[in-house]
Amino acid sequence: MRALLQSCRSVQTAGLLLFFCLSDLPAQPVVAPTPQQAGSPRGDNVGDYNITNSWEVGYRFHSVDGNIGKYRSDVNFGNGIRLLGGSLGVHSRDGKGKWFDELLLDVRGLGNDPYQFSSFRAQKNALYRYDLLWRSNEYFNPALTISGGNHFLSTNRQMQDHDLTLLPQSKLRFRMGYSNNSQGGAGLSTGQWFDSRGDEYTFLSNIRRSQREYRVGTDIEWRKVKFSVTRGWEAFKDDTVYGTPTSPAGANINDNNSLSLIRRNEPLRGRTPYWRAHLQAETANVFTVQGKFTHSEGQRNFVYDDFAVGTDRLGGARNRQILLSGTGSRPVITGYLTLIWRPTTKWTLTNQTAYHNTRMNGQGRYSELNNGDAGLSLVSFQDLGIRTLSNTSDAAWQPQKWVGFFGNYQYAERRIRSAEITEFELPARVRPDEQFNRQKAGTGGLRLQPMKPLRISFSAEVGRNDKPFYPTSDKDYHALNARLQYRVAKYNFNTDYRSFTNTNSTSLFVHSSTGRTWSANGGWAPKAGIQFDGGYSYIHLDTLTGLAYFASFDLVERDRSYYLSNLHTIHGGAQFQIRKRVDVYAGYVRTQDRADGRSTAGQSGRPDVLVNPSTLALFTGAQVFPVAYQSPVARVSVVLHRNLRWNAGWQYYDYSERLLRLQDYSAHTGYVSLSYSF
Amino acid sequence: MSFPRAIPLIFSLLAVLSACRLAAQPTGAKSATASDAYAGSNACRTCHPNVALQFFRNPHNKTGVLANTPVDKAGCEGCHGPGKKHVDTKGGKDSIGAFSQMTPGQALDACLRCHSKDQNRANIRLSNHTQANVVCTSCHSIHQPESNRSLLSKRQADVCYGCHNDVRAQFSLPSKHRVNEGFMTCSDCHNPHGTNAATWKMGRRPHLVDTGLNNEQACMKCHVDKRGPFLYEHAAVRVDGCESCHSPHGSVNARLLKRPVILTVCLECHNGAGSFGRQADGVTTQSASHNMADPRYRNCTTCHVRIHGSNADRTFLR
Repeated sequence: MRALLQSCRSVQTAGLLLFFCLSDLPAQPVVAPTPQQAGSPRGDNVGDYNITNSWEVGYRFHSVDGNIGKYRSDVNFGNGIRLLGGSLGVHSRDGKGKWFDELLLDVRGLGNDPYQFSSFRAQKNALYRYDLLWRSNEYFNPALTISGGNHFLSTNRQMQDHDLTLLPQSKLRFRMGYSNNSQGGAGLSTGQWFDSRGDEYTFLSNIRRSQREYRVGTDIEWRKVKFSVTRGWEAFKDDTVYGTPTSPAGANINDNNSLSLIRRNEPLRGRTPYWRAHLQAETANVFTVQGKFTHSEGQRNFVYDDFAVGTDRLGGARNRQILLSGTGSRPVITGYLTLIWRPTTKWTLTNQTAYHNTRMNGQGRYSELNNGDAGLSLVSFQDLGIRTLSNTSDAAWQPQKWVGFFGNYQYAERRIRSAEITEFELPARVRPDEQFNRQKAGTGGLRLQPMKPLRISFSAEVGRNDKPFYPTSDKDYHALNARLQYRVAKYNFNTDYRSFTNTNSTSLFVHSSTGRTWSANGGWAPKAGIQFDGGYSYIHLDTLTGLAYFASFDLVERDRSYYLSNLHTIHGGAQFQIRKRVDVYAGYVRTQDRADGRSTAGQSGRPDVLVNPSTLALFTGAQVFPVAYQSPVARVSVVLHRNLRWNAGWQYYDYSERLLRLQDYSAHTGYVSLSYSF
Repeated sequence: MSFPRAIPLIFSLLAVLSACRLAAQPTGAKSATASDAYAGSNACRTCHPNVALQFFRNPHNKTGVLANTPVDKAGCEGCHGPGKKHVDTKGGKDSIGAFSQMTPGQALDACLRCHSKDQNRANIRLSNHTQANVVCTSCHSIHQPESNRSLLSKRQADVCYGCHNDVRAQFSLPSKHRVNEGFMTCSDCHNPHGTNAATWKMGRRPHLVDTGLNNEQACMKCHVDKRGPFLYEHAAVRVDGCESCHSPHGSVNARLLKRPVILTVCLECHNGAGSFGRQADGVTTQSASHNMADPRYRNCTTCHVRIHGSNADRTFLR
């Protein structure tokens, strides 16, 4: 028996060691591409250049049991042949290539993966550097819990960024850039017609949005002064087309409201030209001053045309056309002045003053033609101005190599001006509202390094805001942070604790939130080719907020919304290399929100704070969303030839809600591939 | 309290004046790094062939190739300092600038001798990372990088997860930004080298979040359709930022929302309480026609579809 106990203890100890063990395995990404590359890391010499490359081509497959929409929302890998990953590096060996000295290309998921990525760099020392980043994301989200799934989206977003720097190593540099961000695809939206108490209808949208940005700039260095200026132009357009089949059904079968035709167009065009300037001067590494100034002038012009035919909720025949046009503008000015003083190597003192002013204006003319009445013509105007001034002072003192102290104090003041009016005719009566709020926050902390591989740090922050803008904003808050890190060649261990508590109270309502995070992770690499890692994370959040709402025309006040989340995450991984020929990886991630521990839809919570007798059942207990999400993964990669690898992998996803199981799914994904280097 | 509108100009003027004053000063006395103490990079190849043979791939190789690079910034000694003493004493970490022997501050100073020219590192001295002794060599590996592009020691997300384990957990949730999938990286939203104070919020939180087009939240870099300006702005987006309703790293809830159901996302602010909101008389409650006892009214965005801002309706109905 004693032997058995000892055996158990040793297994527990080994398990604990493994759990908190300590290495550098990558965080568990999706199963493919294979991280191991084909070919020699030294590359091959061709003329004056050295070339390294590795390309992985394979077949990805999947099978889903359960809610496919939720799977596509969370994971979205499909079937088919892919260029799972690839890299190419071409370097001039003497750094004096004729046209270029470096070419770098990395690709991922090309061919039809939902997440595709490609980056390219070409540069010639001292002459130019060109960077390209291209990305594509297939986004699918049924949003079942939002609007009952009627805000479904299936879109593709593509983004590309081009940046060219001329004379990159000189004291006078020139920069040019171009970015493009486009989104297209199908979506659903909802709306009401003829009456805000009428039925809700779902309609289709063909989403077509695109943004382009052009920018030029220059950087100048003169003695110890660096000056940089950028001029940019951003343009955005939205040509989404909305429509619905003839005679769509509403969401409520008992509603008399009906719709036989809708047509909606709302094209939008906008541009945002901007300036950025940055100046920095440094002397003998002791005193640095830097200033930054930005200005932009955002503007959007829009037209809204909505035509509908049907019956209102009382059964009367209706046709209505709404025409609306107008502009929105947002000039933004930002300025920073930062002073950094390092009187000795032990002291660093900084002060930053920031000024930010944004003013959002919008005005539009609304016209409505309606067979039910004489029609409407309204003028709308809105103004929202935010001006923030903040000053932050930081001090860091390191009296000894093993100990250091730091602290900062911040004062921020914000003025918010607001006006909003809708009138039948000009001049509109605009009564601006204005309010100020001020926030003071201080942080202090220390860091220790009693021995070289061990680092410990503590910090605490306290903040006070005299008049936050929202009931859930930060008002009286404090935060604690602690971290311990131990890192040597074979082991690493990291643990940290963070908490954030905020109370935002007024005479009738109180919002309080408490968040606590504790995590530990580590890795162990006992010898070359063998690595383990593992970790645990606990994220707690509870918030308590005052509510006021109508239930059957009765105003319910001083009710409470209590939200509770207790999120536990574990992850572990092991990697082995067998005779430098076979690489095996196995990993596991499990995330579980245990909430308040319940496993059924029955309510529980904090009866001590839920005292309102007219509370809806919805709010009588804690709002929780207990869910478990786990994903084991396994991968093997075999060297077939010096330049060829065979790879295969499998990853399983299991999503399981505890209360309603409408979105549950389990899915197997996998791939088989060859990695080749030419 | 009122501040003049010319404050940005005053800032700029102060910066220009300070810069001119500093530029007029001598660039510093001749330091201990006298040129006669340098041995040249060729001397290093003799004892460090494993580094030297592969160094042509390293972006720092250009410092040894370009003819006009100052000797104190060229080749191996550009980072490690004069090497003649190291050669004369036949090695030893005490006779050269070995980064493994440097304090974090010394390592930072060594890198910033060349890498301070970029704007995105302008705030590195006051970043939370620097305060916590997380400096260049904590994330970058010059001689054994995972990629030659930015010389990070590992894939970027793995570098960050190494300390931010709780963030790794958030990216393991069902609803998340696609960082683990390789579509985006931490630095799409964060600047680990330090940022200016986030003026879309009051305090220093959130930490190290980069800015979009003009000091706006990093979210707007990609979600350009939410940028506006709109005729009717949802003030929450502009005053307290996207995190008012969303958890940017990951969430168990759809669309990164902070609550599992829509109505509490909205009602927790729209409760008419206190002196909150645009008119400082409480954020508007819904009207009596919104019967929360009827499940039909609990999905607020079914009707208020343009919740990020609208050009057609002040209550975001269209």
